[in-house]
Amino acid sequence: MQACITGCGVVSPLGNRLEDFDDALFEGVSAVRAEELQLPGAGPSRVPLARCNFDESSVAAPSKVPLDRGSAMALAAAAAATQQAAWAVGDTDPERIGLFWGSGMGGAASFDATCRGLYAEQRRIRPTSVVTAMPNAPLAELALRYAVRGTAMGYACACASAAVAIGEALRALRDGRLDMAIVGGSDALLSPGVIGAWQAMRVLAPLGGPADGDGRLACRPFAADRAGFALGEGAAALVLETEAHARGRGARWNLQLSGYASNCDGLHITQPDPTGQARAMHAALRDAGLAPGDIGHVNAHGTATTAGDAAEAESLRRVFGSTPPAVTATKSAMGHLLGAGGAVEFVATLRALQWRKAPPVAHAAALDAAFEIDLVRGPARKLPGLNHALSNSFAFGGTNAVLIASRID
Amino acid sequence: MNPTTFNAVAEVLTTKFDVPREHIQPQSELQSLGLDSLSLMEFVFAIEDHFGLRIPEDRLDPRQAQLTVADLCRALDDVLAPPAGLAAAA
Repeated sequence: MQACITGCGVVSPLGNRLEDFDDALFEGVSAVRAEELQLPGAGPSRVPLARCNFDESSVAAPSKVPLDRGSAMALAAAAAATQQAAWAVGDTDPERIGLFWGSGMGGAASFDATCRGLYAEQRRIRPTSVVTAMPNAPLAELALRYAVRGTAMGYACACASAAVAIGEALRALRDGRLDMAIVGGSDALLSPGVIGAWQAMRVLAPLGGPADGDGRLACRPFAADRAGFALGEGAAALVLETEAHARGRGARWNLQLSGYASNCDGLHITQPDPTGQARAMHAALRDAGLAPGDIGHVNAHGTATTAGDAAEAESLRRVFGSTPPAVTATKSAMGHLLGAGGAVEFVATLRALQWRKAPPVAHAAALDAAFEIDLVRGPARKLPGLNHALSNSFAFGGTNAVLIASRID
Repeated sequence: MNPTTFNAVAEVLTTKFDVPREHIQPQSELQSLGLDSLSLMEFVFAIEDHFGLRIPEDRLDPRQAQLTVADLCRALDDVLAPPAGLAAAA
């Protein structure tokens, strides 16, 4: 059984309405910019970031607790998704509704601010610091907003978090435990301490020379000269329903979540493994009842790190062989949304299906000659026969998650 | 109690904590405003943020029985414009 996708919403560096998201996505417009980072005890440095144009104070907290920016984005994305689904509280038995949400580092930025207040300003710790910053804070706020009584499950699998959340909801719907699920992920972690932590890991694209300009082309997935990613922020939410439930309330949809698989490499905390990735893609294809040749488009994990892209190019070659689908890597445009990435990139995959075209990467650099993939560069590529698309999310810690979506009209 | 202070406190209570304006009187006890203990503490932080100051902890524990909106306002007024004797001592 598949899950009907009746609504989706995003808060992303490419825009907070699907129309704006589409415009930037298919034009290959990058939202990445260089910003100066000044950490205590270190000189200033430039880092590539992709921020959302989003005012968290515009979102009221159902709990009345101060909202982490990521929780506010989660609420905004879910509001857009439920609106598109024409669904409201009361339309479904609350005990048959589930929430499945992914976040990589939860309210780490809020906690960074709390610690700065404590250590640098001797400020008292807010009594709500825990419930603002806990990794399931977005879940808790969403559960209050939508009066959810079925289940509220949070997933923390680093950069695969949201993809795992979406896929596990599919399983719960298939098992008959729920009729409907609000799913997705959020992360808003662009605080000095968190940015500094990623910078210290040396996975952010360096911005040293004058050629780096304003930083918008800093993240170059699958390019020969790729050097790392930009940090982004954002959220995406989907409404998933069983077909019986969607039909019962007269919902309209033309996209479905067809397949999902997750596994683990179990080899290294950061190094990706093509074998684990290929196993996950094959398992997701089996889950969807599809063959590799049915997939017309792949939204790659594509972090633009040297090792990450090499592993993914190899796993794609192993799965798709000599007839590769049109591959894109949207982190070039919106940065790495960490735990939210799997959800926002899955929405990008759905938009590709909706418009039957593959968005290009946002850079024009030469493809790494060692890679046998069909990377979409320049204008978006029309794919008139596109019916099935796949989105990869591969995480630190070894979790691999693959989602497959299909058009059904 | 400075009426400007009272109005600002009432504004924070209505906008951030959904307390109906008509429930907020100077003599209203903080514990009668419908906020749970966590929200009461958060309310004090919201007030501090709003005024850009810090209320001495010994002046105010909002969970203390019978503490009123006017008591809070007087504590704020004292921080905003300390009584002459205290200012001299400082």
